[in-house]
Amino acid sequence: MKARKFLLVVSLVLLMAITFTACGAKPEEDVLNVWITWGDNPAQLQALFDRYGEANGVKVVVSAPVEEDQILPALTGSAPPDVLILSGGDLVKSYAQEGLVVELSEAIDTGGIDLADIYDAPLAQCKQGDDIWCLPWGADIYALFWNKDAFEAAGLDPESPPTTMEELEAYAEQLTVVGDDGTIEQIGFIPDQAWSHSDLYVRLFGGFWYSDDGTQLAVNSQPMIDMLLWQQQFYDKYGYDEVLAFSTGFGDQYMSPDYPFYTGKLAMYVDGEWQTGPNFISALKPELNYGVAPFPYPADHPERANTGVVQGTVAVIPANVKDPEASAKLLAWIMSPEVVAEEMCVNANLPTSKKAAQDPCFMENPKFKVFVDLMGSPNASYIITTPLSLELNDAYGLVEEQVLHTGADPVPLLNQLQEEFAPKLAEALK
Amino acid sequence: MRLSSLYSRINHNHSAPVWGRSRYRSLRLGLLFIAPWLAGFLLFTLYPMGMSLVYSLTEYHTRGPLEWNQFQNFINMFSDDLFWTALKNTLYMVVFGVPITLITSFACAILLNLKVKGQSIYRVIYFLPSIVPAVASTLLWLWILNPQAGVMNTLLGYIGIKGPNWLNNPAWSKPSLILLGMWGMGGTIVIYLSGLQDVSKNLLEAAELDGASWFQRLRHITIPMVSPITLFNLITGMIGMFQYFTQAYIFRGTGGLGSPLSSTLFYSVYLYQQGFQYLDFGYASAMAWVLFFIILGCTVLILKISNRYTYYAG
Amino acid sequence: MQTNPTHPPLYTDDEAERQRRLRSKRIRGWLKASASHAVINFVGLFFVIPFVWMVVTAFKSNQDVFHTPPRWLPYDYVYAAIDGQRYPLYRVQTADGEKELAALKIDSGVGIFADPANPSELYEVKIQEGGLVMAEAIMHVSFRWQNFPDAMQRGSRPGVGANFWVYFKNSLIIAGFTIIGTLLANTPVAYAFARIKFPGRDVLFILVLATMMLPYQVTMIPMYKLFNEILGWGNTFLPLIIPSFFANAYDVFLLRQFFRTIPEEMCDAARVDGASEWQIFTRIVLPLSVPVLATVTVFTFLWAWNDFTGPLLFLNSPDKFTMALGLRDFQGQRTMVWNQLMAASIMFTVPIIIAFFFAQKTFIQGIKLTGSKE
Repeated sequence: MKARKFLLVVSLVLLMAITFTACGAKPEEDVLNVWITWGDNPAQLQALFDRYGEANGVKVVVSAPVEEDQILPALTGSAPPDVLILSGGDLVKSYAQEGLVVELSEAIDTGGIDLADIYDAPLAQCKQGDDIWCLPWGADIYALFWNKDAFEAAGLDPESPPTTMEELEAYAEQLTVVGDDGTIEQIGFIPDQAWSHSDLYVRLFGGFWYSDDGTQLAVNSQPMIDMLLWQQQFYDKYGYDEVLAFSTGFGDQYMSPDYPFYTGKLAMYVDGEWQTGPNFISALKPELNYGVAPFPYPADHPERANTGVVQGTVAVIPANVKDPEASAKLLAWIMSPEVVAEEMCVNANLPTSKKAAQDPCFMENPKFKVFVDLMGSPNASYIITTPLSLELNDAYGLVEEQVLHTGADPVPLLNQLQEEFAPKLAEALK
Repeated sequence: MRLSSLYSRINHNHSAPVWGRSRYRSLRLGLLFIAPWLAGFLLFTLYPMGMSLVYSLTEYHTRGPLEWNQFQNFINMFSDDLFWTALKNTLYMVVFGVPITLITSFACAILLNLKVKGQSIYRVIYFLPSIVPAVASTLLWLWILNPQAGVMNTLLGYIGIKGPNWLNNPAWSKPSLILLGMWGMGGTIVIYLSGLQDVSKNLLEAAELDGASWFQRLRHITIPMVSPITLFNLITGMIGMFQYFTQAYIFRGTGGLGSPLSSTLFYSVYLYQQGFQYLDFGYASAMAWVLFFIILGCTVLILKISNRYTYYAG
Repeated sequence: MQTNPTHPPLYTDDEAERQRRLRSKRIRGWLKASASHAVINFVGLFFVIPFVWMVVTAFKSNQDVFHTPPRWLPYDYVYAAIDGQRYPLYRVQTADGEKELAALKIDSGVGIFADPANPSELYEVKIQEGGLVMAEAIMHVSFRWQNFPDAMQRGSRPGVGANFWVYFKNSLIIAGFTIIGTLLANTPVAYAFARIKFPGRDVLFILVLATMMLPYQVTMIPMYKLFNEILGWGNTFLPLIIPSFFANAYDVFLLRQFFRTIPEEMCDAARVDGASEWQIFTRIVLPLSVPVLATVTVFTFLWAWNDFTGPLLFLNSPDKFTMALGLRDFQGQRTMVWNQLMAASIMFTVPIIIAFFFAQKTFIQGIKLTGSKE
C-alpha cells in the first residue's frame, strides 16, 4: 500500500526537521546568557560583559532589550538565561512565589557580595523577611525638570523653580497658554507625563498604598485620595479633554527631539536622572535650557522636602539554570562596585553600591548630582513590592486614568480597589 | 451539531463515490488517509482540551499541584469587572467590526467586478494590504493615526476636519482598530469577488432586458446568490474577531495592555494577561472555555437565523 | 446574439441620426467608465496611502520623522565639512546679519557656530532669545537610504550577531517547513473526505469543521506546557513547525472543496484500470489540483510569516526570533524608531508581495468555496 510509503516519508521528513532544528539549537559549551529588559545601547552592555568573558574563559551573550513577555516562557521552559536583569522589582515576588527564581542568600555568601555596601532603599524591593530574591543593580529617582526659557517668557525667575507644591500650582497656571479657541498651546505641568508618578506624590502626602511593612493594603487611605485629587486639578482646570488631547498628542515621542518638554510645550514635569545623561537631552535637544530640582513639598510639611522614591533595575537568577554556581559567580561580578560604577556612569543611572557612588564621575554633572543627593536624603523612600505588585499596579493604573482623565471621584474607586485586593494580598502572603 | 447544515449547504453537490468492496476495507483506507489529522486531533486538540478543562477547574499557576476549587474560577468571572469590560469590548468589535467589514468588502468586490480597464491592477492594489503582516500593519497604522505627526489627521486637516486622538481616546480606539482591520480586508474581497464571478450572467442579462434597474438586480439577484459566501465570511469573521489579539497586543498604549481606559482590553488580551502576566493559568483556562461556548452559541445562532436568508443553488 | 440574414438591417432613416446615437452611446459609456474609474481610484486611495506613507517614512532622517505637520517628502540636514568632520548647517542671526553657519556644539540653549568658509572664527549664539529663534537648522529634501542597512543591522543581541537578517532567515525556515508539513499532511486527509466513502466519514468531517470554532486560547496553555516543559522544545522552532505536519481544519476544508470539483469519471476510469486509491490521489487528483495547492502554499506562507502569538509563546532568545517578533526591536521603552521600523517593515513585506505576484493567478483560481463546477 502506497499510503504506508507516504506515512514513512512524512515521518522521515519529521525526523529530519527535528534533527535539523535540534542541531541548530544546540548551545555552545561555556556560554552564559544575560538578559536585560531595557537597554537602548546593547553594544555597550555586550562590551561590558565581554570583559567578564575574557577574564573567565567563557562567552557571555547579552540580550537587550528583552521584552517582558519573553521572560515567563524562559523561566518555565528549558532555555533560561543564566542571569536575568529586570527593569523593576514588580514581578520578582510573584516569580518567587511560583518558585521561578532562586533565593540568593547562598549566592551572596559564596560570591562574597557585601550587602552592607548596597543602599537600603533599592534593596528593600528584593527582600521578603530574611529572604533575598533579587539584587538591585542600578537605581532611579525622580525630580522636577523645568524649562528656563519658558520661565523667562512667563515672567518667572528662570533660576528659581517652585519649592512647595502650592508654588508649583501657581507657576503651572502662569506657564499655561490657552489659545482663543480653548485649545492648549503650552502647559505648565502634567502630573502623569510619560507615565504615572503616583508613588512619588503619595509619599509627599505622607503615605503609600501598602502599610510600611507591606503586609496590609492601604489604597483607600487619605494620602492616596489627596494625592489623586491633587493630580486631578491639573486636568480639571483646563478641561479633561483639552489637556488629554494636548498630552496624548505627543504619542511615542519620549526619546525624540519633539518631546513636549524639549520643544517647550510642557514647562515642568517629573522625570528620572537618565535625562541628564548622554543619551537624552544632550543628544536629542542640546539647545534645551533647563534645570532640575527636588520635587516640591507641601507648604505645611517642610519636613518632607527632598522626598524621592528609589526604584531600579534588579538582577535575579532563574530557578531552572543549568549551572547555578556559574550564575552566582557572574552575579557577584555584576554587583561588584567597579562594574556598577562603570555601567551607571556610562548611561547616567544611579549606582546601588555605596562604594561605587564615590566614583567622581557621578559628581561631574551638577544636574545629575541633584539626583545623587536625593538618593542620599533621609526622605528617600522605596517601592514596596508584593506578589500582587503587577496586578495591583495595573488595577491602580485604571483608577488613576479614570480620576485624572475623566474626572471621576477617587473615593469609591479606591474603596473598590481596597475591597478587591485586600483579601487577595492576604491570600498571597499566607 | 448545527455545523452539519452549513457543511451540507456549502456542498450542494453530493456526488460521493460508492466504492469499496467491504466496509472494513474502506474504513481502513479512509483512516489511513486521514491519519495525519486524527493524530493531530488527539495530540493537539483533544489532549490540550482535556488538560485545559482540568486547569479551569483548579487553582493552578505556572507549576505545582492542581487543587480542585469548586468552580471558583467560573464564579470569579461574574464579579470580575475587567472580565465584563473585555467581553463588552470584544462584542463591540464583533457587532460593529464584522458587519462593517463585510459590507465594505462586498462593495469593494462589486467595484472590482466592474468592466473597466486596468481592473487587474486595481485588484492587486486592494488586495495587497491584506498580506502585510499584522505586526507591521499595526505599527504602520499606529504611526498613521498619531494625532500630531500622523498622516490621517493631516489629510483630515486639508478638508478642515480636526481629527480625533484616535488610539489614545477611549471612544475612538476601537473604531481605529476596525479601520485598521478594514485596510487588510483584501482576503474577504477576493472571496466575494470569486463569488460575484459565479453569479449567473444569463440571469442578470435577462433581468436587465426585463427592465430591472442596477439596484434591483443587486438586491434580488446578486446578494441572494452570494449569500452562502456572506454566511461563510460572517462566521469566520466572527470566530476570528472573538479571538482578536495581535493588533491590540502590539498597540498597547502608554498605559499598557488595554489602554486607554481598558477600551482595547479584548477577551483574548485579558486572558493572556491573566495567564502569562499574573500567572493564573486556572482562571485563564476557565476564560478560554467560556469563550468557546460563546463562539459555539453565536455560530449556532447565526446558522439558525441564516436558514431563512441564505440561498443555495442546485 | 444570432443575426438573421433574411431580416433587413435596422437602419434609421437618417445616417446623421445614427451617428448621433452612436456618439451619445459612446459618451455615455465613456462617462460610465470614468465614473467607475473615479470611484475605484478614490476607494483605492485608502489602500494606497498607508503604503506611500510607509515608504516616505522609511526614507526620512531622524530629524524629520516627527516634523509637524508631516511632510510628504523626506527631509534631512544640510551638512558642511570642517576638517573632515560633518556638521549640520544652521541659519543663524548674528550681529552682522543672517548667516549660514555650521553648528559645532550645542548645549543648554547655547550654540557654538563656525563659518565653513572661515572655520577659525567662532560665533556663540543663544538659540532662543525671548520668543525669537536665533538659530534654525536648514533642511532639504533628501532620501536617507542608510535607514535600510541600519534597520537590518539593528538587533537586540550583538553578542551572537542576531539582527534582522537572522530574523529573516528564521522566518524563512519556519515558513518553509510549515508549508511542507501543511501540504504533506492536509492533501491525503482532504482527499479522503472528498472521495473515499468510509463509515463515519461525515461525522468525522463535521468534527473537523467543529475544530474551527475552538478558540486557540483553549489549547494555548496546555500546548505551551506540553512543548515547553514536557517535550523541552522551548526556544526551538519545533513547536511552530511540528503541528503543521498534522492536518488542520481550514486547509482540509479548502482542499476538499477543490478535490470535489475534479470530475469523478476520471477517477472511475482509473479504477477500472486497476489503479489503487493512492495512485488515483497522487497521479490524477494532485496534478489537477495545482491551483489549490498554490493557494494553500500562499495562505500557509502568509500565516507562518505573519504569526505572532506562536513565536511570542515559544521563542525567547533573539537569535531564534522571527521577523514578526523582531520588529519589536524598534519599539524600545517608550520610544519608536519610526524610520527604521518602516524600512524594516518594507523588508518584511516585500517577500510576501513577491510570493503573491508569483502565485497570483493560480491563487485566485484556487479559492473555490462554493464547490461549484464551472
